[in-house]
Amino acid sequence: MNKRILSLVLALVMLALCFVGCSNTQGNGDDTGADTSADTGVVSGEKNENKVIVGNVTELAGDFRWPGFGGSSAGAADQDVNGLITGYSTMETNQGGAYVWNDTVVKSHTEEENENGDLVVTVEINPGLLFSDGTEVKAVNYLAYVLAFSSPVSVNAGHTGMSGQAMVGYDSFAAYCGEDVEVAEDAEVVPTKEFAGIRLLGDYSFSLTISSAAGYYPYYFANTYGAITPYPLDLVLGEGVEVKDDGNGAYLTEAWYEKGADSTPEALTYVKSTHLTEARYDVTKYAFSGPYVISEWDEGTKECTLTINPNFAGNFEGQKPSIETIVYVKIVSETQLDQFKSGAVDILSGITGGADTQAALAAVDESNGKFAEVHYQRAGYGKLQFECDFGPTMFASTRQAIAYVLNTADFAQAFTGGYGTVVYGPYSPDFDMWTAVEDTIELTEYAYSVENAKQALIDGGWVYNSKGEDFVEGQTGVDAVRYKKLTAEEATDVNKAFVSVANTDGVEYKTVEVNGEYYMPLVINWFGTTPNDVTDMLAARLVGTDDVTAIGMVVRSVTGDFDKLLGEIYREESYGYGGTPTYGMFNLATGWNSAIYDYAYNWSLDPVYFGYSANKLFDEYDVAFPYDMTGEKLTYAEAVEASGDKLGMDYLSMAMVYNAKTVDEYNEWWGAYIERWNELLPDVPLYSNYYFDIYNAKIQNFETSPFWSPVDALLYCTIANAE
Amino acid sequence: MGKYILKRLGYMLVVFLILSLLMYLVYAMIPYDRARAEAENWKQVYKNDPVGFEAKYQELRKELGLDQNVFVRYLGWLGVMPINGQYQGIIQGDFGFSYVYDRPAQDIMVEPMKNTIFINIFATILGLGITIPLGIFCAVHRGGKRDTAVQVATIIGYSIPVFITSILFIWIFAILLGWFPVSGMKTPGSNFTGITKLLDEFKYMALPLIVMTATSLGGMTRYVRSSMIEALSMDCIRTARAKGLREKVVIYSHAWRNALIPIITLVIGWFLGIFSGSIMVENIFGLNGMGRIYINSLTAKDFEVVLLLQMFYVIIGLMGNLIIDILYGFADPRIRVNK
Repeated sequence: MNKRILSLVLALVMLALCFVGCSNTQGNGDDTGADTSADTGVVSGEKNENKVIVGNVTELAGDFRWPGFGGSSAGAADQDVNGLITGYSTMETNQGGAYVWNDTVVKSHTEEENENGDLVVTVEINPGLLFSDGTEVKAVNYLAYVLAFSSPVSVNAGHTGMSGQAMVGYDSFAAYCGEDVEVAEDAEVVPTKEFAGIRLLGDYSFSLTISSAAGYYPYYFANTYGAITPYPLDLVLGEGVEVKDDGNGAYLTEAWYEKGADSTPEALTYVKSTHLTEARYDVTKYAFSGPYVISEWDEGTKECTLTINPNFAGNFEGQKPSIETIVYVKIVSETQLDQFKSGAVDILSGITGGADTQAALAAVDESNGKFAEVHYQRAGYGKLQFECDFGPTMFASTRQAIAYVLNTADFAQAFTGGYGTVVYGPYSPDFDMWTAVEDTIELTEYAYSVENAKQALIDGGWVYNSKGEDFVEGQTGVDAVRYKKLTAEEATDVNKAFVSVANTDGVEYKTVEVNGEYYMPLVINWFGTTPNDVTDMLAARLVGTDDVTAIGMVVRSVTGDFDKLLGEIYREESYGYGGTPTYGMFNLATGWNSAIYDYAYNWSLDPVYFGYSANKLFDEYDVAFPYDMTGEKLTYAEAVEASGDKLGMDYLSMAMVYNAKTVDEYNEWWGAYIERWNELLPDVPLYSNYYFDIYNAKIQNFETSPFWSPVDALLYCTIANAE
Repeated sequence: MGKYILKRLGYMLVVFLILSLLMYLVYAMIPYDRARAEAENWKQVYKNDPVGFEAKYQELRKELGLDQNVFVRYLGWLGVMPINGQYQGIIQGDFGFSYVYDRPAQDIMVEPMKNTIFINIFATILGLGITIPLGIFCAVHRGGKRDTAVQVATIIGYSIPVFITSILFIWIFAILLGWFPVSGMKTPGSNFTGITKLLDEFKYMALPLIVMTATSLGGMTRYVRSSMIEALSMDCIRTARAKGLREKVVIYSHAWRNALIPIITLVIGWFLGIFSGSIMVENIFGLNGMGRIYINSLTAKDFEVVLLLQMFYVIIGLMGNLIIDILYGFADPRIRVNK
């Protein structure tokens, strides 16, 4: 018996080995995509398959229709696929990240202010635009999405339900749950089935009214609320629902609000919310509006194959795709370059960091023209971010001293391996507004200087020791650092209780009381993520180094994961806060994916906006000259004069988007904002690295930018010697 | 036997409940606020309305049951106590929700489970097919040159971490020799069907399969060898040889059966391991399997998925123990439970 079992096992092993062995031979056959593409670079002159394989280390989740479903947690890979299957938006972002009207779609549009001070955007689309299934795109296809995803039905499906929040009548429409639901007499909002701010004006025209009462107009980017995308009606609404307008606003017919079997008056559920949940992940049943359609989605291998949509009329520049097939695959970051070199993928994007960049460029150099690269400076930067409402980092002098002593130019060189640079404020050199002001803007570079760091501290009042006497360099123990005498206003309970963390050397620094005065030690409690090269490099340059010691500062380091870091910044209860924040400095990165630059409410003095501020910086200039949303909208020159040339961060960030009406006005505010930011230094930018996209040279005309991803660029590409 | 199995199933239920409570408490203790993380998705929506944002955060806390104490939440997870007025727990078939994938937890495991089982079945068959004969061979030729060589090889294989082996094999077989793809699960963009599809999948599975097999050889081979050595030194074996039985009969019929008891434990463990993915191998080779889901969920603090996975493995483990105990009786009549 045992012998028979053993024989069976051995036979199975042999069979498995045969399969494995044979498969390798089969895999090198002519009909296998990966090897074929590797062997058919532009150099060979052979015919190339009209196909591109895009690799991404981020995994596809299949959430292609509406990635993130109204939230901000959409996966980057899913968004890429969404970008390929979605088109005909009234406005699209261009190569510079700016929103522009889509002339392929929009026949005409007007933007007018009505008698209530609202902005009415009227759009007429071109007839004859087709979805992938051949059905015509009409005005209702645009309005269906905004209506559906402003209604409680979408909220029931897990969407934010706030797609139309900027438009007049949103609150009433969002409160409407169907005619069968009774409205409470004391209801704050009277529900209406019509969305007053959305009008269906004809088969090919509609209007959107941006609300001034709700604070969405005047607003510099208000017209971007007119950027809406058409979807097939059956995808969004399912069967039996229509978009109508009887003169009071567009609405969805009652079938949209049909209640689910488990619906109760206390907890309404809707049949159509189930439809939305299912349609969200359905890539086979409904048509597409973009340049490509999904021909296969393999959830098992996380691979998505897209083929050209012959009905696509073009993007905002009328551009149509010519590459027949795009395959989007998951790759492993550690071996991605080997996969690229072996021909398993045709494009690797977003390569950064010294070693990785060098390896990628070496692969291009050694390929004899088979591979090529394109690069751009990232629209963003790695940074030290400060908490500006407590502890030593609440003082600009401390933040400036850290910038001086850190030697950011050297840091950027070391971290990026030379493939990066330093920015001196929260901007990208690719921003149009930067281009407009770069010759006139005055920014401090905070070049490495221990003396300047000391001077900044002395100017900031860091001149005491723990006994309230003059600080003397070269001391040990608690007197190794400078102390600052706190004013009565600064001597908050949090600052009185300030104490250093991670006291592994046995020295605990804390705020001391001397003769009724409070003195705070110059100790930076820093939280960094790990594993993270930036954290390691910062530790080597800040923790216990001669320069930092020489200026009378101590940096105490604690590391953890990114969620912990966010928890500390948000000061979540679940991280053990009892109203006492701990860390004054964090290292992380930030960036922009479009040129919509709006930091309104980020620097508000109103504590209710506390959670909206990354830095919790309250600019003293804003106390003296605060921004009034309901007040007169001053021009920049008027505001400078009225404030005595002391405009604060809140004022500048608010006026930038709520006072500016023209590009020039916006740029003027923007430049002043960057200058004030650079002076107060709520972050120290550490590096702005270059991103390299490497690709098979058979792909021609491949040009990317910080705001123009490889999948955007592929629309303009062709394949050399395509079959 | 039936009574014994029922009794064991009862014990298993108790163990499951204790373990599930402990695990639930562990994850509840980790300082992470899921409601806050979910609320961040809404921040842009509530850009001009911080009061609305706070209300949304509190609403999310209530929705997620975070306004209840941890024991109430645990009972709600089991499905024996209502959360927000509804019984929605594992008893009702609600196994939790993945906040990373925005789908029910069980839905995201279907495809990875298929992939994991697919590769593990072959890895297990290959592993057992090699280690058992090899272990027996080494025991029979104990102290010989070939046994010594195998001992050295297995101790080296046993000592090298799987990620080192993986990288080494990728470098040799995929990059230098180009025999196998570096990673992935099928030829990108291929639409093969039937046997061609299967062969294509084998091509991609071959290298991870070889790594998994190679890294598992050392331990099992040594285990089989030592069990066989112990069995071969038993009095009954000496008696069998004295009776003049052929050596093959002595080894495979008498000694092997006596060596089976400890080996059964490991073999069953291997087969149960078919359901659990290899975190290292799946991540390095880009395979969409259970190990990858597990580590991704842990990293993303998608604890309901992690909890479901762990509870699944608890059940598999408990069932495995039961199967092992029953199989002991078949291998050795002296320890049958109903005697």
